[in-house]
Amino acid sequence: MNGAQAVIAALEREGVETIFGYPGGAIMPLYDALYEHPVRHVLVRHEAAAVFAASGYARTSGRVGVCCATSGPGATNLVTGLLDAMMDSVPLVAITGQVRTELMGTDGFQEADVCAITQPITKRNMLVTSADAIAPTLAEAFALARAGRPGPVLVDIPSDVLKAQTTTDVTAAPTKPFGRGGAGPRVSDAAVREAVARIRSARRPVAIIGGGVRAGAVDLYRMFVAMLGLPHAATINALGAAAPGDSTYLGMLGMHGLKAANKSVQRADLLIALGMRFDDRVTGKPDRFAREASVIHADIDATEFNKIVGADVTLHGDLRDTLRALIDELTAGHVPRFDDWAAEARRLGGPLPSDRIGDGVLSATDVLDRFFAAVPDDAIVTTDVGQHQMWAAQRARPAHPRRYATSAGLGAMGFGFPAAVGAAYANPTTPVFAIVGDGGFQMCLPELATLRRYDVPVKIVLIDNQNLGMVRQWQELFFSERYSATNLSDNPDFVAIARAYGIDAYAVDSPDGADAVIARFIAARGPALLHCACHPTENVWPMIPAGMTVDDLMEARAS
Amino acid sequence: MTCDLTLRDVRSVARIVNLAARFNCRCVHVSANADTLVSARFAFSGNEIALARLRAQIDRIVAYETVVQ
Repeated sequence: MNGAQAVIAALEREGVETIFGYPGGAIMPLYDALYEHPVRHVLVRHEAAAVFAASGYARTSGRVGVCCATSGPGATNLVTGLLDAMMDSVPLVAITGQVRTELMGTDGFQEADVCAITQPITKRNMLVTSADAIAPTLAEAFALARAGRPGPVLVDIPSDVLKAQTTTDVTAAPTKPFGRGGAGPRVSDAAVREAVARIRSARRPVAIIGGGVRAGAVDLYRMFVAMLGLPHAATINALGAAAPGDSTYLGMLGMHGLKAANKSVQRADLLIALGMRFDDRVTGKPDRFAREASVIHADIDATEFNKIVGADVTLHGDLRDTLRALIDELTAGHVPRFDDWAAEARRLGGPLPSDRIGDGVLSATDVLDRFFAAVPDDAIVTTDVGQHQMWAAQRARPAHPRRYATSAGLGAMGFGFPAAVGAAYANPTTPVFAIVGDGGFQMCLPELATLRRYDVPVKIVLIDNQNLGMVRQWQELFFSERYSATNLSDNPDFVAIARAYGIDAYAVDSPDGADAVIARFIAARGPALLHCACHPTENVWPMIPAGMTVDDLMEARAS
Repeated sequence: MTCDLTLRDVRSVARIVNLAARFNCRCVHVSANADTLVSARFAFSGNEIALARLRAQIDRIVAYETVVQ
């Protein structure tokens, strides 16, 4: 077989069923090998969509997402998605074609040193220099993508290597399909005992769960908080970690988090931070964040300890193992209950504040309230980035963290729609919805062609407020209402665009009859767009301004 | 802060030097011998917090190099 066929064989060995990509010169041998091959290739309309789709696939399945692109511009178009995956710990393998070996370093046509470009934004990258090295390199790439804290790995293969013959037995390479390769750290028994001692002596403990919960730790996390009656909050990457109906769950934490979550963290005497990294959108001003609390910090990645917030106890290990150890240590002795404190923490909250924008006018928050009331419980929701992302995060109660995907750490606009495409391939029997804004949607509009070509049943909820709303909100609040380059009042007719691509489109521009339109949209077969013409100046509340604390929380526009 | 590292990939030397700049630390010494493995010595100066973060990131690079299937 040649190198390209070895790539396909290696993908099959890893259990890969679907890859997302876009062809070009240097990667043509791989596309030739894909021709009439059972590994399904989804042709997107831009390489950025390929990597975001692979991310959506991985985030909603736990499997490694795979994307491919050609050399030069194809490879560089993957950059944003690779960084997004790095920030949010998403296991990806990106395969890029490279110019022929003899042309490397000559500024050849479509040449880019993609390994140098992506070194800081991947766990590692590899340039493959011989066809015999393809199978072991890909095996290592998949193992590394899954190992410990997951993340992206890029494998760059020159076109002559893809064409060269190899006798390597690809199937013989040892691998652990869908497992997590590499021996991870084992959480310290002494640290577990110290953590439990602090839990037992705490009066106002609060747990914060982060994206680490996606490492198969959901059930143990729910058991842990339930056995203690522990009030708990989630970062945006952990929405869905709380059990449905859990009354001790306080909601999302952070800049646009719920008041009960933010205030209870600030009042806590013990923070139990699990698989989260104290992002600045969570902490605001770190030296004033939870200043009465001692901190137990559990993470698979020791780099996160004491990076932003100092920890009194660090639990270095797989979150499942850590939670199991905490539960075992607790049940071996006194198990405290924090029901009274949890009730008090809940009372620190209240209904979500919203702007009063007038009767008969459609507000984004109203649309999203109606949408989440109607959407099936088991649905997967992806979002793009901006105001709608925060409004959705405040309201969504996904059944599981793998039912919700958003570009959290990087905040990459253009993520939500292609991520939903990937999610639909990973979960073919689950309804998938992408909530997007008018700004981010226009960064990936051509993916409507992907929906049509493959009849991918993704449904798009377009919150169109004719503005780059989050930037507009900051300009209103912090830049003296100088609205620079945020007005999108010349938006195109999105319904007409969707229909031009052959996608069913629905529209709602008033609260009257909105529920019926939303119901028809949700019930529609196949891909569909719901265009929501919303008030242009509605803001996201509450808000803790950047670099501030919950003491500076803004609940609504000053009148 | 001095670090003596054994690396699989000589490119990691450059990555670590770049990281130091990113953390506003000075790389005051770097030397490397590349054979099958790379023996590298670095010395950095900078404030304590930045050096601690840099050290943590270096440890992560080394860890990612050592993950094998």
